[in-house]
Amino acid sequence: MSLFTIKHVRKTFAHGEVKEEILKGIDVTLSEGKITALTGASGSGKSTLLTIAAGLQTASDGQIFFEQQELTSMRKEELRQIRAKQFGFIFQSAHLVPFLTVEEQLALMLETAESSLSKQEQKKEIRQVLELVDMWKRKDAYPPSLSGGEKQRVAVARAIIHSPKVLFADEPTASLDSKRSQEVMKLIQKLSKERQITVLMVTHDMEMLPFVDHVIKMKDGIIINDITA
Amino acid sequence: MNMAWKEIKKNKLRYTILGSIVFLISLLTFIISGLANGLSQDNASLIKNLPNGIFYMEEEADETYSFSSLSKQQQQEITEEESEAAFFSIQMGNFIDTSDKQRSIAYVAADSAYFPEVNPGEVILDASLEDEGIAVGDEITNEQWNQSLTVAGFAEHEKYSHSPAAFINPDDFQTLFHTDSMQIAFIADSAIQNADDAPIFEGLQAFSNNEFLNTIPSYNAEQMSLNMIVIFLLVISGMLFAIFFYMINVQKLGIYGILKAIGMKTGALFQMMWAQMFLISAFSLILSILISQVFQSLAPSGMPFHLTWQATGLLSLVFIIIGFIGATLSGIQIKRVEPMQAIQQGEM
Ligand SMILES: Nc1ncnc2c1ncn2[C@@H]1O[C@H](COP(=O)(O)OP(=O)(O)OP(=O)(O)O)[C@@H](O)[C@H]1O
Ligand SMILES: [Mg+2]
Repeated sequence: MSLFTIKHVRKTFAHGEVKEEILKGIDVTLSEGKITALTGASGSGKSTLLTIAAGLQTASDGQIFFEQQELTSMRKEELRQIRAKQFGFIFQSAHLVPFLTVEEQLALMLETAESSLSKQEQKKEIRQVLELVDMWKRKDAYPPSLSGGEKQRVAVARAIIHSPKVLFADEPTASLDSKRSQEVMKLIQKLSKERQITVLMVTHDMEMLPFVDHVIKMKDGIIINDITA
Repeated sequence: MNMAWKEIKKNKLRYTILGSIVFLISLLTFIISGLANGLSQDNASLIKNLPNGIFYMEEEADETYSFSSLSKQQQQEITEEESEAAFFSIQMGNFIDTSDKQRSIAYVAADSAYFPEVNPGEVILDASLEDEGIAVGDEITNEQWNQSLTVAGFAEHEKYSHSPAAFINPDDFQTLFHTDSMQIAFIADSAIQNADDAPIFEGLQAFSNNEFLNTIPSYNAEQMSLNMIVIFLLVISGMLFAIFFYMINVQKLGIYGILKAIGMKTGALFQMMWAQMFLISAFSLILSILISQVFQSLAPSGMPFHLTWQATGLLSLVFIIIGFIGATLSGIQIKRVEPMQAIQQGEM
C-alpha cells in the first residue's frame, strides 16, 4: 500500500435548499517523495480536495489513507496530531504569526509538532532550514516588515522544519511574481528531494509544471487527466 | 514558547489600555472597600474590637438593645452557665465639655475585661475626643445630671453608632440613667460561627458578632450600599475582561485558525489567553494595591478609611477569578473557529 491514497472522495455543499456536489468521486494516489500538482479551472474543486486530503475538512463520502491509517474515520484529536507531526502546510498567503520573529515561527512549529530534538538541535535545524530558504539573515524580523516573497519563503520553511512526510500547498506562488515563483518552486523541489517529502500542491500556473513529477487535471469535480512525468 | 508575553510585547498599546482600565477599576474598588471598612470601624469599633462570640439580648426587645434589660436573676443564670460572661449597657447621649460645647456620645457601662475599667465619678473617652481638645482631668456634665464626671483617660478606637464611646462605672450608669439592669450579655467563644450553635437561655435571643452589628440601624444600610458598589465594580471588571478579550480575540481569529490548521492544540491557545489575562491583572492589581496603601497612609486622619492587606489580597483574588471567567467566556470563539475559515479568509 502506498503512503497516501484518496479513494472515491465526494463532497457536497448545501447552499440553503440547493445541494451542490463539488467533488464527484475522486481517486488519487500520491507518488511517494514526489510532487503531485492539481490543476484545473477555477471552481473545479482543487482547494476542496486538498483541504479534505489534509484533514482540514471532512469528505461527504469516500476514504483517505495515510500510512495504512484511515484519516476519514479518525477523531479530531488524532487528526490534529497527524497534522502537527506528519503534515506541513503552505497556504496561498503566508499566514505567519504577526507577533513572532522569523526564527520564532519555526520554533513554534517544532513545539507544536512535539519535536524530539533537544533545544540545541532545534536551534541548529532552524538555522539550517532558514539558510536553505535564504532567510537566516532576517531571522529576527517580524512578518509585517517582510516582502511577500520573503514571507512565503518563511512559510515554506515553517512547513518543512518538522520534517513532515506530506506537504500540502495551495497555490503557494500565487502572490509572487514570476521570478519569485520560480525560486519558491525550486525550493520546494529541492526540499522534497533532499528530505523525501511527498508533496500535493494546487497550481494554476503552467510555468510551475516543469518542477513537478505528476499532474492531475480537474474539471467540475472530477479528474479528467492524470499524467505521471 | 512564551507566546503570551511575546504578543503583549508586540502590542504594548492594546494591553496597556486593558491594564490601565483594570488598574483604575481595582483601585476604585479598593478605595470603596477601604471606606466601607473604615465606616464600619467608625460606626462600631466598640463591638468590632470584641473577640468572636455570642451576644444575648432580651427576646422582647426585638433586636433593639436599648429595649433589652437583663435582670439580676437572668445575669446570674448566664454566669452560672458561663463564668466568663460579660455584661454591658449602651446609652446614646451627649455631654457638655469645659468649653460648653455639646457633643454626642455613647455611654458604655460594663463589668468586663473587654472594656476599660472605670472608677466611680470618672470617665474614659474614645481617643478621637482627645484630638478635639479634651484632656485628662476635664470635667464633663450633662443638663439632666446634677453631678459631673472627670476624664481619667482615653481608649483607642472605641466608637458606637458613629459616636465616641464614654466608659463609665456601672454604678454611675445606674444612677444617671435610672436603671438597675444590664442590656447585653457577651460570651467569648472562638469556636462559634453561628448564633444557632450558642447555648440557649430562656427569654433571650442570641446573636453572632455580625448579626449583632447588623442590629445597629445605620450599620446595615451603610455597609450594604458600599458592598453593593464593590460587587458591581467586580462584575463590571469581569465584563470588561470578557469584552476586551473578545475584541482582541476577534482580531486574532485568523491566526488561531491557522495555528489550529498546523496542528496546535486549542488548549494551548486558551493557555496563551489565560497567561495574558493573568499577567495584565497581576501587574495592574499590584500597582493598585500599592497605591491604595499609599492613599491610606496619606488620607486625613478624620477620614474613615481602613484597608488591610488581607482585604486587598482577597479582593485581588476575586478580580483574578472574575477576569479568568470573563476571558474564558470570550474564549469560546477560539474553540469554535475552524481552520478552514481562516484559510479561506486569507484568500479574500
Ligand atoms: N465551504 C463551502 N461552502 C459552500 N461552497 C463551497 C465551500 N467551499 C467551496 N465551495 C464551492 O466549491 C467549489 C469549488 O471550490 P474550490 O475552492 O475547491 O475551487 P478551486 O478549484 O480551488 O478554485 P480556485 O482555482 O478558484 O481556487 C466552488 O464553486 C465553491 O463555491
Ligand atoms: Mg482554490
